[in-house]
Amino acid sequence: MAEIQTEPVTLLPSVPLDADEERLQLREVERTRQAQRRTLIWIVSWRLTLLVVLLFGWYFASGHIVDRLFASNPIDVAKAFGDYIGDGTLWYNLRYTLIEVAVGYGAGTVIALVAAGLLSIFTTAHRVLHPFLMALYAVPKIAIAPLMIMWFGLGLTPKFLLSGIFVFFVVFMNTLAGLRSVSPSLINVARVMGARRHQLLLKVVFPSATPNVLTAMRITVPEAMVGAIVGEFIAGNRGIGYLINSASNQYNTAGVFAGIIAILIVVLLMDSLVTLLERRLMRWRPPSAADR
Amino acid sequence: MTALRRAAAAGGAPAGDPRRLTLERLYKVYVSRGESLLAVRDVSLKIEPGEFVTFLGPSGCGKSTVLNMLAGLESITDGSAHQGGRPITGVNTDVGYITQDDNLLPWRTLLDNVAFPLELRGVGKGERRERAHELLRSVGLAGFESAYPHELSGGMRKRGSIARTLLVDEPVILMDEPFGPLDAQTRLLLQDELLRLWSGSGKTIVFVTHDLVEAIALSDRIVIFTSTPGTIKSIHTIDIPRPRDVFHIYETDRFTELFDLLWAELREEITKARARH
Ligand SMILES: Nc1ncnc2c1ncn2[C@@H]1O[C@H](COP(=O)(O)OP(=O)(O)O)[C@@H](O)[C@H]1O
Ligand SMILES: [Mg+2]
Repeated sequence: MAEIQTEPVTLLPSVPLDADEERLQLREVERTRQAQRRTLIWIVSWRLTLLVVLLFGWYFASGHIVDRLFASNPIDVAKAFGDYIGDGTLWYNLRYTLIEVAVGYGAGTVIALVAAGLLSIFTTAHRVLHPFLMALYAVPKIAIAPLMIMWFGLGLTPKFLLSGIFVFFVVFMNTLAGLRSVSPSLINVARVMGARRHQLLLKVVFPSATPNVLTAMRITVPEAMVGAIVGEFIAGNRGIGYLINSASNQYNTAGVFAGIIAILIVVLLMDSLVTLLERRLMRWRPPSAADR
Repeated sequence: MTALRRAAAAGGAPAGDPRRLTLERLYKVYVSRGESLLAVRDVSLKIEPGEFVTFLGPSGCGKSTVLNMLAGLESITDGSAHQGGRPITGVNTDVGYITQDDNLLPWRTLLDNVAFPLELRGVGKGERRERAHELLRSVGLAGFESAYPHELSGGMRKRGSIARTLLVDEPVILMDEPFGPLDAQTRLLLQDELLRLWSGSGKTIVFVTHDLVEAIALSDRIVIFTSTPGTIKSIHTIDIPRPRDVFHIYETDRFTELFDLLWAELREEITKARARH
């Protein structure tokens, strides 16, 4: 046997005991939590600062740099918003828009998921339909709006359809891309394990498309709103789009801004719902640097 | 699958032993972008029940292709492969299949990943979790049941994927460079563990590697492939007695002899393969 020189490890007298090491871990957990909280506080304060700066800028620019008639100002907008809430105008119109967006977004997403699922199963059908789908995708959706009004009148139907169409294509395309990006080796391993076709789809292919589906669901939140608002602009007598349109016809700039703010709030709320869904469904993902 | 095993259990003819593999004049031609490539040429080989056979050769020589034909994932261009008395035609569900990637489903916890093959067979949740749990303990992964794959080290993921394969008791296990991406120490530990799990199981293992040391340490027989188109160059019996100690096997004289002998064979093919690229 060969010889090797071995040096004894010298332990300092105060080797931490198990209890000390546990305390060390707890301290580190607490430190990390505090560091995260500090960062969050920083970010929120910057956001608020920026918001205040913007509001002040708006307030002082209006009437000096830009015509007050066109720019309004934050105080008038707040007043208009308050008035809309007070006399029920806001809720009367918002309710209508909310229904349009909810139905359009929900139905558009569900139909897109089902269609993408079906086309990923029936690949030949997909190849046949591909150019037609691309052609439809290429049409600017706004161009369809007048047609929808002509065909379906002034009620809710054309708005459901517009909002749904705005959502459908994005979710459909992204889901299809996600379904096709499934790792072939995952599929192969599952097949050797005896997975049947429907098991492959349900347990391997569909789950691997979730990241794409969620991305699409995030992108399409404002799209659903755009669809509904466009419909209300073109024709209708109710909804936030209608409210904005009629305020602008009366040169009521503050009213226009109040309507826009209502839209903003709804979109932000929907976006945080998607974030919640994402947190729930994507726990298995390694956290990325871009995570908020 | 069950029919096969039932036949074996009923003391069917040795030829019907589902642990036996027979490769007869196998050819594989790949066609991609209008070009054809002869990847495997005239491979004939008999693998006996319970044997540990390793395919060794320069990378790109067709080892994975042969293995994938045995798994039924690649079609056989010409010739035939049999498991027991049954020709391998479609996907072969009578084998375990482990590749370089761990192929765990990233959205499932380790426990649900290991239990996955039982889930596919319709085994109830309670039972499959219990069995997966037990197996995880036996490969040293107790306590990590609820971790997602990205939270585990490469070695742990590989252990998980081996556990998943062992959970359903297939007569043959195909392993395609399973320890390739691991660091040297983890590799040794897993080689040792593989031998421990395999010994006495009676399973046949077909193992692919381009690492000569690993091949000698593990195998009963080593099949050396020529560079493309892959064909069998020579077959060697590794007569180092079992149980083997993968940590110290290098120190034996027999190992050194075998290494020198096989390296001479292998080097020739590696040089040829290199000259081509
Ligand atoms: N799906 C495929 N299509 C075309 N050529 C392939 C395909 N798979 C492997 N090949 C080619 O076949 C040869 C053998 O590949 P492979 O069996 O993966 O080699 P090894 O596993 O020994 O490294 C290589 O030249 C490789 O490029
Ligand atoms: Mg290979």
